[in-house]
Amino acid sequence: MITLEHYLALSAILFAIGMFGIMRRQNLLMLFFSVEIALNSVNIGFIAAAYYLGDMTGQIFAFFVIAVAASEVAVGLGLLILMYKRKGTLDLNAIKNMHG
Amino acid sequence: MPIEQFSMEMVNFATLAPMLVLVLGGMFILIIDLFQKLDRGFYVTVTMMTLALALGLLLFYGVQGHGFFDVMLVDGIALASQMIIIGASLLFIPLAMTGVRFMEFKFAEFYALFLFMVAGFAFMVSSDNLIMIFIGLETGSLALYTLIAMHRRDKSLEAAIKYFTMGGAAAALFAFGAMLLYAATGSVEIRTIEEVLVSSGFANLPLVLAGSAFLLAGLGFKLSVVPFHTWTPDVYEGASAPLAGYMSIVPKIAAFVVLLRLFDFLVQSPDGIIYWLLWIAAVATMTIGNILALVQDGVKRMLAYSSVSHAGFVLTAVVMGTTQAHTGIFLYWALFLFTNLGAFAMLWISRHPSKVWDIRYDHPYKKFAGMVHISPVGAVVMAVFMLSLAGIPPFALFWGKLYLISAAVNSGHLVLALIMLANSAIAVYYYLKLIIYMFLHDPEENDNTVYYQNGTVPLKIVLGVAAVAVSLSFLAIDPMLNLFGDLVAASGF
Repeated sequence: MITLEHYLALSAILFAIGMFGIMRRQNLLMLFFSVEIALNSVNIGFIAAAYYLGDMTGQIFAFFVIAVAASEVAVGLGLLILMYKRKGTLDLNAIKNMHG
Repeated sequence: MPIEQFSMEMVNFATLAPMLVLVLGGMFILIIDLFQKLDRGFYVTVTMMTLALALGLLLFYGVQGHGFFDVMLVDGIALASQMIIIGASLLFIPLAMTGVRFMEFKFAEFYALFLFMVAGFAFMVSSDNLIMIFIGLETGSLALYTLIAMHRRDKSLEAAIKYFTMGGAAAALFAFGAMLLYAATGSVEIRTIEEVLVSSGFANLPLVLAGSAFLLAGLGFKLSVVPFHTWTPDVYEGASAPLAGYMSIVPKIAAFVVLLRLFDFLVQSPDGIIYWLLWIAAVATMTIGNILALVQDGVKRMLAYSSVSHAGFVLTAVVMGTTQAHTGIFLYWALFLFTNLGAFAMLWISRHPSKVWDIRYDHPYKKFAGMVHISPVGAVVMAVFMLSLAGIPPFALFWGKLYLISAAVNSGHLVLALIMLANSAIAVYYYLKLIIYMFLHDPEENDNTVYYQNGTVPLKIVLGVAAVAVSLSFLAIDPMLNLFGDLVAASGF
């Protein structure tokens, strides 16, 4: 029997993978993928919770998360192209000027 | 749930009016831009008129109540924070009329995005539905990333990318926290979550605690709560000075309101885990922000760390949880608005793309050495802002600090009050350091133009308004306390 806990555990594992990627990735594109993984892990949790609670709100939230993830990619890719035009690379170390 | 008959009363357009005005203003600018390229003066005027209209609607027709099928909730704290958000925007937008022409202000998109961002944050504060809060947060943040990147420097690109990745992580954390609370309580409406949790005596406690921690982390990124503050100095340094000042005020008050709505009841969780989590976050934020500000060489980075510290100071109000403390949030932030935006505007006036003082910093301390000999008025105005940030009477933030510390004492948080006092004392050091540079050091270079390179009449008007507001704030404390006190009490916080 697959219960809500299983889905929440799957969601948490995917979320942890996404967060680990956000912290460790040096390539901007890979970093965006990690953000997507983290956001989509939330969708799994929402839809599972909505199914087990018999309530539609969670599914609606998941739709909004998808929309937000899409618009976030739109802005992110804009920044990515700007960076590639200026620096010729997507390596985050190439733009590290400020510290301290 | 039965399907209800549609009626216009359920939409209640009056609750949406300020945001609708802002969005329509932004769309108007975009449409005009399709047909005719116009001067930035026109766009600044349209933006200011839109903001003024929204503020007028808010002040004179501000209705409290539910709207848009219960998704919107305009209560007292929503109105108070919308006033602060739109007020800060009104002070910000004339700073586009610089003497030196910067690229981003030529584009109509800058003003349209700016208005959409203001609308996003206004939506975020006037809802108790986590979906709406999430959408508002992202609308505001996504526009803000773009605004930062439009300032065409390598540092701004770095700042935008840093802020974007941190914002992406914050969005994911917020959504995950909301999901956990939804799984625990079966609702995304904060008032329903509160009802369910209080009536069931915090059932599903592990899920609720995890959800609260994730929500705190997600909002903590926006509030620059330690340990999520690491992006703050870099992003503020890379962004243009007025935008940095703006970022230290508007997204933070929006996040504070959401934090207040959520944690006003979550701090009552059994064992006090969330209470102590918030307590430690608040104390760490103000202390670590202060200590890091002590060792900075650039004034802009110092101001960034100081705004981290101020956010921690105000976070204590959520810990205290009394009506007086919650009123203190809005009082403090309204005063902080004028002070911090003024300080950043002072940096903006002295900024020039090619005349740089230091390879690393735009505004090193030594740039301001002996400023009193070169431009006495500028030095005095900057000193007023620094004294206000340091909390020295009779300038603005002294009253905010006094009110919050008295709220801490009244609610029995004596240790917290002592920590707040000690932090105010530490902070005096680095603010006075700049004053000592300006008044007691000799100028590095005797060049009259250096401090006003960027100065034009609109910038000076903004500075004048901020300086007068900061100096004469003691006249406004009572009316402001009455206004915010009534609004906060009316919404039951």
